[in-house]
Amino acid sequence: MAASKPPSPAISPPSLSFPRATFAKLSPHPFLLAHLQPPTPPSANTTPPHRPNGRLPTQFRPPNLHTGSLTHASGSSVVRLGDTAVVCGIRAEILPASNVGCAYTCGGSDDDTEIQALGLLVPNVELSTGCSPAHLPGQPPSPLAQTLAARLQSLLYATNLIGADELRIMYVSPPADDAGEGGGAEEVKAWWTLYIDILFISLDGNPFDAAWASLLLALKDTRLPLAYWDPDLACVLCDDLVANAKRLRMRRWPVASTFAVYSAQERGSVGGDGAGKWILADPDAFEEGLCRESVTVVVDCEEAEGGGVKTRIVRLEKRGGGSAGKAEIKEVVEMATERWRVWRDVLKGNA
Amino acid sequence: MSMNRKNLDSEDTKWELQEFVSGWYEIPAAMTDRRRINGPPGGSSPVIFASSLGIGGRSVKRPSRIRPPDELRKIFLKTGLTPLASGSAYLELSPSANTGETCDSLAPSSSALKLTCAVHGPRPLPRSAPFTPQIQLSTHIKFASFAARQRRGYIRDASERDLAVHLETALRGVIIGNRWPKSSVEVVITVLEGEEDRWWGDETGGGTTGGSAGGWGMMNVLAGCITVASAAIADAGIDCLDLVSGGVAAIVKTPQSQHEAPDRDTDMGEIGKNGRLQLVIDPAPSEHQEIYAACVVGYLSTRDEITELWLKGNIPGTTSFSTPMQMAEVGGLLDKAVEAAVAVRLVLGEAVREAAELKAGQNRNNKE
Repeated sequence: MAASKPPSPAISPPSLSFPRATFAKLSPHPFLLAHLQPPTPPSANTTPPHRPNGRLPTQFRPPNLHTGSLTHASGSSVVRLGDTAVVCGIRAEILPASNVGCAYTCGGSDDDTEIQALGLLVPNVELSTGCSPAHLPGQPPSPLAQTLAARLQSLLYATNLIGADELRIMYVSPPADDAGEGGGAEEVKAWWTLYIDILFISLDGNPFDAAWASLLLALKDTRLPLAYWDPDLACVLCDDLVANAKRLRMRRWPVASTFAVYSAQERGSVGGDGAGKWILADPDAFEEGLCRESVTVVVDCEEAEGGGVKTRIVRLEKRGGGSAGKAEIKEVVEMATERWRVWRDVLKGNA
Repeated sequence: MSMNRKNLDSEDTKWELQEFVSGWYEIPAAMTDRRRINGPPGGSSPVIFASSLGIGGRSVKRPSRIRPPDELRKIFLKTGLTPLASGSAYLELSPSANTGETCDSLAPSSSALKLTCAVHGPRPLPRSAPFTPQIQLSTHIKFASFAARQRRGYIRDASERDLAVHLETALRGVIIGNRWPKSSVEVVITVLEGEEDRWWGDETGGGTTGGSAGGWGMMNVLAGCITVASAAIADAGIDCLDLVSGGVAAIVKTPQSQHEAPDRDTDMGEIGKNGRLQLVIDPAPSEHQEIYAACVVGYLSTRDEITELWLKGNIPGTTSFSTPMQMAEVGGLLDKAVEAAVAVRLVLGEAVREAAELKAGQNRNNKE
């Protein structure tokens, strides 16, 4: 339709409106509001309001995954959510029992504390890869990188994803005499330490979801070689055969979903409590800059009989402001459950 | 070298200094780095494979070069991976063909080079900065901690700084700097997977990467960095004289048995009992028993200019490059490196052209 019109840039009067990009840059707040506000008067045939990035307020970006592409990592993954791209690589190293300072006694089933006490999972986030103009190298890890790493670590420990027995390297002492008597005592000689490094290649909002997803995928992809204690060399040796290596067994698959709460009220202004508010799923960098409040829900679901799922909330983080009440949180948890389904389907397709 | 460019009072410089110091004296990470999550305080050790110590009866075979001496590995180059940066590119060299037994081993015999590059700028310098008539170019190269067989630190070390300086020289000669006075541009490269310095079977217990005398992998990394940075700068739309591309060539030892049809172009004579010296382009260090000398160039093919030249090594039987015969050898090596750069330039040109066409198409759509 537009192509049929003859282009006449010389005759047309100077336009008094800005192009989209300029409007967004000059007055971002009204720009987002104009997108979200339903048309007045409401009519049946108009499309529902969309966000500037073309998504519905409750629509997530579809995940795009790839695993096992790095040669030197024990496990690796690449996750892309729209313009946010993350690479996660896991390097397994060996922590000999002799390096554990205080004599640590492992209590068999005492899983949760063992990994945490020894610090066997070491997640780190690198943002200074030029992933966005706000994060340039030559500087110490930014507060964002530090908080992300701390949140990931605490979530890793809290969800208890990996059992401590997966990370133990045991040694059964051989029988002391010819008759096969004595010996046979099991002893932990070393532990696997997983260094989890998350690099942001591109950052366009919602770093936590992407980082968490890439971390889970890389853990799933991790293969630990068969390790054994060699009493002669007094060190741990590994077998490089793939057939003898074992995959990390993950107990569950908690999915993180982040939502930003946008209120029509401008930042800094007081009063006007009745102003509208919107919950934006999976915010991008532009929306993140305009929203004060955000909610991160980590849910772990179980498939119940009859096609439904049983939702368990693993973690709920809500920051900045109090405009999202009980009803909104409930809504958000429901959306997070939906998101869990999406991830389950994606993983099934991937596996 | 980066100190004089920055405000000495800033937090930034302090950190740079700290990085600089810790790069030299190897302060344990647990002592200095309080802004990252550190591993167990006792320290963990990398995996030792029994087969690398010769235990268990399995022997591993060195991968061998099956491409002709004048053929590059396949290059994958794509621009525009980081939409928020002004320009970006991703480069991957496919690993050379496997010998077949690598698939059942967790210790892969060959690795592929993977680089991402983001360009930020040109953007105005802060008001406090002194006037510069030219664009200020700064380059950062960082290896990811999982880039090599040995885990790398988070703070840039001497070899990474050295590479960044080499890259800066290569790019400085190409960018038309006086079109952007009072502005700066940053080129940030992350090495997701580096090239190895030698075959892992040759490393007897925990070899190091980079910095050491061997460091052949660094030359391939530099050539890749030059190419990927060039693509990203073109993607950012910064005016350049030409597309600079990186090429590597090396003088290697080839076993007599594998050396078929000695052609005059690459053959350099006999060495030892059953080996010959050979000139190859794009050497994968793990495929060669011995690399004697290698050369990297940053080359502008339409202007026939070299902006960066890094040559190192020693051809056996010589101690210096002083006599005419040896000058000829150096010349041959240089010519081969230029040949490699010309071949890389074809891929680079294609990638940049594709991206430009895509962009032009988008702009047309937006206008309509």
